[in-house]
Amino acid sequence: MKINKIILSFISAIALLLSTSVTSFAKVVGDKIVLGSAISLTGKYSSNGVHTQNGYNMAVDRINSMGGVKVGGKTYKFEIIYYDDESNPKRAAQLAERLISQDGVEFMLGPYSSGLTKAIAPVTEKYGVPMVEANGASRSLFTKGYKYLFAVLAPANLYLDVAIDLAVEKNGGKPVKIAQAFEQDAFSQDVRLGILEAAERTGSKIIIDDKLPKELNDMAATLAKVKAVKPDVLVVSGHTKGALTAIRQIAEMKVDVPMLAMTHCDAAKLSKQHGKNSEYALCASQWHKTLSYKDKFFGNGMKYAADFEKEFKYDPPYQAAESSAALLVFKDAFERANSFDKKKVRDALAATNMQTFYGNIKFAPGGQNVDKPMVLFQVMCNADGSKCENKVVAPTKWASAKLIHPIPSWSER
Amino acid sequence: MNKNIILYAALLIFGLAAPFIFPAFKVQLSILCVLIVLALTWNIQGGEMGYNTFGNILFYGLGMYLCASVQVGMFFPLAEWTESGGEKTFVHTPTQFFQGMAMGLVVAAVIPTIVAGLIGYSILGLRGHYFAICTLGLGVAAGEISGGIEIIGAGQGFTTPPFPDVGSLEARGEFFYFLSFMAVVLTFITVKSIYSTRFKLILNAIRDNEDKAEAMGIQTMKYKIIGWMISAFFCGLAGGIMGGLVGYIDSTDVAFDGREMGVFMVLMAILGGKGTLWGPVIGATVFHIFKEGFWTFFLGWQYVALGVLIVVIVIYFPEGIMGWLREKYPERFGEVVDEADRKAQVELK
Repeated sequence: MKINKIILSFISAIALLLSTSVTSFAKVVGDKIVLGSAISLTGKYSSNGVHTQNGYNMAVDRINSMGGVKVGGKTYKFEIIYYDDESNPKRAAQLAERLISQDGVEFMLGPYSSGLTKAIAPVTEKYGVPMVEANGASRSLFTKGYKYLFAVLAPANLYLDVAIDLAVEKNGGKPVKIAQAFEQDAFSQDVRLGILEAAERTGSKIIIDDKLPKELNDMAATLAKVKAVKPDVLVVSGHTKGALTAIRQIAEMKVDVPMLAMTHCDAAKLSKQHGKNSEYALCASQWHKTLSYKDKFFGNGMKYAADFEKEFKYDPPYQAAESSAALLVFKDAFERANSFDKKKVRDALAATNMQTFYGNIKFAPGGQNVDKPMVLFQVMCNADGSKCENKVVAPTKWASAKLIHPIPSWSER
Repeated sequence: MNKNIILYAALLIFGLAAPFIFPAFKVQLSILCVLIVLALTWNIQGGEMGYNTFGNILFYGLGMYLCASVQVGMFFPLAEWTESGGEKTFVHTPTQFFQGMAMGLVVAAVIPTIVAGLIGYSILGLRGHYFAICTLGLGVAAGEISGGIEIIGAGQGFTTPPFPDVGSLEARGEFFYFLSFMAVVLTFITVKSIYSTRFKLILNAIRDNEDKAEAMGIQTMKYKIIGWMISAFFCGLAGGIMGGLVGYIDSTDVAFDGREMGVFMVLMAILGGKGTLWGPVIGATVFHIFKEGFWTFFLGWQYVALGVLIVVIVIYFPEGIMGWLREKYPERFGEVVDEADRKAQVELK
């Protein structure tokens, strides 16, 4: 058979290709500390992936321009290698492997979303590569005994349980009826667990408990049920698309509900995109620009927001802020470790105790940040609805406005 | 014949040595092996039998969930493992890990085979577009259903047991590479041996004219089901390996990933040349290399580049790489070409 020759030559061509395509960066080249990150630039998480990337880039530029990282008496600058994980966990795991074993990266920044972080964590753990992540909030990340995973954010089950407490409080301390709809992904399902616990704690009843598909752009069935059974609270979580879909369809179907609690309102730029329709939505957030935390790189939240807006032309959602904070944590850990040894940097990370513009950061043994509470803000508009803003309403320590409850019905709006 | 043995020996040696020659590419090579298995098995239906199935992803996903569930369930309570809020951390010892994996892979291969046999009887009665649409639904439905089953993690996903610490960082990569390489060898041998029997001729007869085949006394349904069961066996196996390799199973993005894997297996077989033995192997290899290349050099544009590649394939190589080679160099494929015949063809053109 002559075909053998073809196949053999084909194989040798591949072998040649593979052997020439190994490009290797070491973790520290010259005066650069190379970090690696798989990020969702395409696919269902692409908008949040870009927020994350912008947050990383902004912090890299800022730290580099303000003197870089000082280790062993020498000054280093940060650099990040990005790959596009296409919002797919399989791809993310593969890319983590590639960043570490092919590109020689020894320090990682997290991807966007809990699912992708879950896929990457076993890889970084295997190689003992410290990863500071800013966008994987699922509680299950912190119960697996990972030693090299550090999250600057509060776990997902704490996102909206405060909203249930608020609803109960407004109901005169009596239990409430809850309707909830969550996307079938790691993060939203964890938010759901938080609600289940809050419901049990307050004796509240869950009357609708729907699962929404990924890539969701229709939840009319859930809303029809909500119209029929009139719950006290409607909870929706499904990343950016979930927030946009919920607001769009609630307005279209004129669904009246006393309290609407969601996640990802700021990442979805709800108040900009839907204006008055999004008014009164209550949103869980890891950060808000009006909080009074400070650091020397970004000043405070307001300054960060202004600088971010100047560079990227939109108001920073918390996804960007927490991503920037991840770099501050890395810089701090490198300087305290005074070394590029992975183990030493890991130990320094574990001992982190600092304040950034984004909040206090201190890691529990599981890797989650235990020193930063969640905040809830509500979308509030001026009288003619031309300008809508997110105002913090809970916890009271940070509140800049009073919660409007119940939400006026559509006939009055 | 001798030349064949040399070729296979060379390939085998290359396969065995690959992770040591390209140590940094072990994961990509393992994935390539899985892709080849998927393309080879898709070709049994899509290429030889003329049934364009999008449903093989069902067996792949089933295998993935089954393997991981068995691997965990043999030693620990599965529900506690997948529960998100669980405070307990379970760790497999090396013996537990490998025993679990071995048992898991057996289950991952056998159960999908049985499932294929059970659903095959009703689904393989459909033909043409109806069959394609029906199987497309299978994968989508399986993804949505598994996303609601709490014991396998539902929407939270399922973290497969981490590879145990056996002293070497390279061990995990090597283990999964050799596992997937074995799967390829096994699949290839099986497919090659069934292609040299009457079975293949029957599949081809079904492809060319099913009614006629039936009229000739062939129990077409029986052979269609057996063919699908063979595919299911290896798809399940590939799924089980892939689950361990990725380390995290998500219902629609990793397991029942019809949008990517389900489409890729079709693309790879067509790219290489469907209805040939080597086509899917070559197709999968070329596809994987192109995809990895696009990924590195056209970040953000990789799917555009992939789209262009597909358009080029469809326009210039509608028969796939093997088909194109066969047309260009028929002698090399052992076909006798009459000179006068060829001249006549040229004149016709």
